[in-house]
Amino acid sequence: MTGENVFQKNYEVLICKELFAGWVEGLRDDFKLIGPVGDGVNAEFREIASLKEANLDYQSTMLPPGKAYLFKPLEEIVLFNAGPGGVAAEEPPIPVQKQVLIGVHACDTHAVFYLDKVFLGAFTDPFYKARRENTFIISLNCKTVTDLCFCHLIGTGPYLKAQSGYDMLLTDMGGEFLVELKSERSKNLFNVKGRPPEAGDWQKKDEMETRLLKSFKKDFKADGLRQVFLSRPGHPVLKETAEERCLSCANCVMVCPTCFCHDVYDETDLSLTRIKRMRRWDACQDYFFAQVHGGNFRSERQARLRQFVFHKLDYEGQFGLKGTVGCGRCIRWCPTGIDLTEIAEEMMK
Amino acid sequence: MRFFSPGDRKPRVGFFKFSCCTGCGFQLAYFQKSLEDTLKSFDFTFFRLASSSGTPEGPFDLALVEGAVTEPYQIIELKKIRANSAVLYAVGSCAITGGIPAIKAGVPEMEVQNKAYRTKLYGLTSLRPSVLGDYVEIDGSVRGCPPGERDLQEAMVSVLFHRKPEFAGYSVCVECKIKGNICVLVAEGLPCMGPVTNAGCGALCPSYHRACYSCFGLMGQANTAALKGKFRKLGLTEDEIERRFSLFDALETKK
Amino acid sequence: MNPYLPFKAGITGIRRETGDVRTFRLELKNGLPSGAPGQFNMVGYPGVGEVPISFSLLPSKDSPLFEHTVRAVGRVTDFLAGFGEGDEIFLRGPFGRGWPVNEVKGKHLVLISGGLGLAPVRPVIQMADQLNAKRITLLHGARDPESILFETELKEWRKKGIDVKLTVDEPGEGWRFHAGIITEIIRPLKIEAAETLAFICGPEIMMRFSARELFLKNVPRSNVHVSIERRMRCGTGLCGHCQHGIWFVCKDGPVFSYQELSGYPDALL
Repeated sequence: MTGENVFQKNYEVLICKELFAGWVEGLRDDFKLIGPVGDGVNAEFREIASLKEANLDYQSTMLPPGKAYLFKPLEEIVLFNAGPGGVAAEEPPIPVQKQVLIGVHACDTHAVFYLDKVFLGAFTDPFYKARRENTFIISLNCKTVTDLCFCHLIGTGPYLKAQSGYDMLLTDMGGEFLVELKSERSKNLFNVKGRPPEAGDWQKKDEMETRLLKSFKKDFKADGLRQVFLSRPGHPVLKETAEERCLSCANCVMVCPTCFCHDVYDETDLSLTRIKRMRRWDACQDYFFAQVHGGNFRSERQARLRQFVFHKLDYEGQFGLKGTVGCGRCIRWCPTGIDLTEIAEEMMK
Repeated sequence: MRFFSPGDRKPRVGFFKFSCCTGCGFQLAYFQKSLEDTLKSFDFTFFRLASSSGTPEGPFDLALVEGAVTEPYQIIELKKIRANSAVLYAVGSCAITGGIPAIKAGVPEMEVQNKAYRTKLYGLTSLRPSVLGDYVEIDGSVRGCPPGERDLQEAMVSVLFHRKPEFAGYSVCVECKIKGNICVLVAEGLPCMGPVTNAGCGALCPSYHRACYSCFGLMGQANTAALKGKFRKLGLTEDEIERRFSLFDALETKK
Repeated sequence: MNPYLPFKAGITGIRRETGDVRTFRLELKNGLPSGAPGQFNMVGYPGVGEVPISFSLLPSKDSPLFEHTVRAVGRVTDFLAGFGEGDEIFLRGPFGRGWPVNEVKGKHLVLISGGLGLAPVRPVIQMADQLNAKRITLLHGARDPESILFETELKEWRKKGIDVKLTVDEPGEGWRFHAGIITEIIRPLKIEAAETLAFICGPEIMMRFSARELFLKNVPRSNVHVSIERRMRCGTGLCGHCQHGIWFVCKDGPVFSYQELSGYPDALL
């Protein structure tokens, strides 16, 4: 506690990519390494042994890394044991495996912030909480954008501006990575010496961002939707899109990085001694999602489609964040290419 | 009695077969992980595939019936089974959507008879295929060709609990996403029936890089027109589209 | 703490209310129960599932016992109907925001219920003495005289000074009260609009028309509260099924003012 700056580390450094890869490999003793494998928009986040397997130039993945590795698609939430003494409930073990997510884009990092609001809000989900705490997030500024990206309109990318909530931010500067340390633990963990960035480096970063911003194809006005949604919930574009193109297959919801809905059901073995209460990703696009005895609040396909569009582009009052991060996955993975931004635009005409 | 517990009389099960390949029966007989528990918890009083003894007369706590109805005697038998059973589940696509035996639904019955039975199988008669639900009330549909383990287990457990079953009603796409399979329809343009097909198989075909061919039948909320439109865009001919949709759902598509 | 972990409750008594409606009197096996009027528990059994059921009677300082009144209509509720005294069920809760009983003081409290909707209103009546209301009116509608819930308690409620008015759709022989739909007994009610607070619970269509009658009497939307039903799997705002607009019915509701609900699609309201 001397206040001497000999202890102070540089929180931003430029290091060559090989050095960075070496540091990542060193994390393997304590962490499971998870990074993007594959090309273009069809990459996927998978366990890797070293950065050599990863492709940090990937554009997008089908399943978002945050959701897939923090909120499991299928997991046990309660276990019951039945015996002569009756039935006893027991908590499944809390996940303790440490993992590092490498190369999470800005939109997907923002999606984790959204999931935090859901699972660490009024009630805390112990499984999400444990995974979140055990997950080291290395975010990555995008180098390219796809035709379906619209993070620039939502304020969630393509460069990550958030200062906390994740651990490290990488920017590909050619032969080097600009590494920005954003969490205390990253400052303790990152021990590679590099060159401190100079004014010219920051300028280069800004220029790359500016260039990237110009390459976006999508443009729609996200402001003022509230009024339109309120006044025209029965707009014909919803009915037409629902009837002609919506399959109710739920792909949009499954691949959405902020969709958090899940079903809860019991799996009982045939000896009736062990019962697993499971949760599984569920979707508002499914017919049964809003069904109760005596009625279904969204029995019509267009009502289910509307729920998705409104929840992503409006309903900001729910968590104080927009439901979309502009990643474009719901458009890309919809078999008929339904585009929520086109629906919104049509409604605003 | 709320549920069967050790020491209780085991629920009596009858397994019946109409027009089908008996694959569902096999699936139950070889009920992979749970075979031992199944035999411990249930008394199969009629199950031809497992034992030649036993009586079809019942009474049964649970009747499982596979196969489509294509012959007149089957209707009479089905009604008898229903009358003797507390719970009756239709098992497999043939019993529920018509499945493979229903492919002929689009062809006049006389034509089928002349073609198939005229010479060697003379004397056989056949009806236009139909499903169990056309004749009797069924308490649940264990979908599949053959059914998946989860729904089959749910069917058996529901009887042990004396409760209504809850079978999957969502699309195969949900199962694909849960497994993390890269979508073969979107990424590779394979004519996958997943978006309109009832889940339950665990996305078996797409997991092996094949397009789903809807062997579990259309889900209740399927939007077939939308998927046909997509297939047209992929370059499939009307005939190819028709074949994909009528392979397991001819009764629905050839009404 | 795992919010999905249920705890055991013993059934100390079962009252058959009407054909398929039963009231379970329950006692927690461990710990002290709590709850506020209008809140609910996720009630169920392992291997069967859980459903949200409002308290029909709250634990109090006099008794740790509480009640849930359940109609057998589905997988879980049918299963619950098979239970007897001495059996154990599982529950989680209490969840949600209940009736705004703190706002009742000095007001005319109008309780309007239809059918099973009387159950979530009953805890309000239970604490009527502590509410300091200027006046309490209970308007209850049922299908027929036989399906009126808690009939034996009505006399007691009247003794408490509550003005109880009944209506049935199908009156039988000897029915002394009104016959017809609920709005017909709301209409003649004399109220001072600004001083009136209404708690409504019943089928959505009944709540909708009841509320409309009150609006015609100039009762402000913010004074009309309804308890709404949605599919729920968790009760804690995580599973997402109960979302209505920006609200999670389980944690932001199930009681809402009409003001809060307006503007969102997909309601029967």
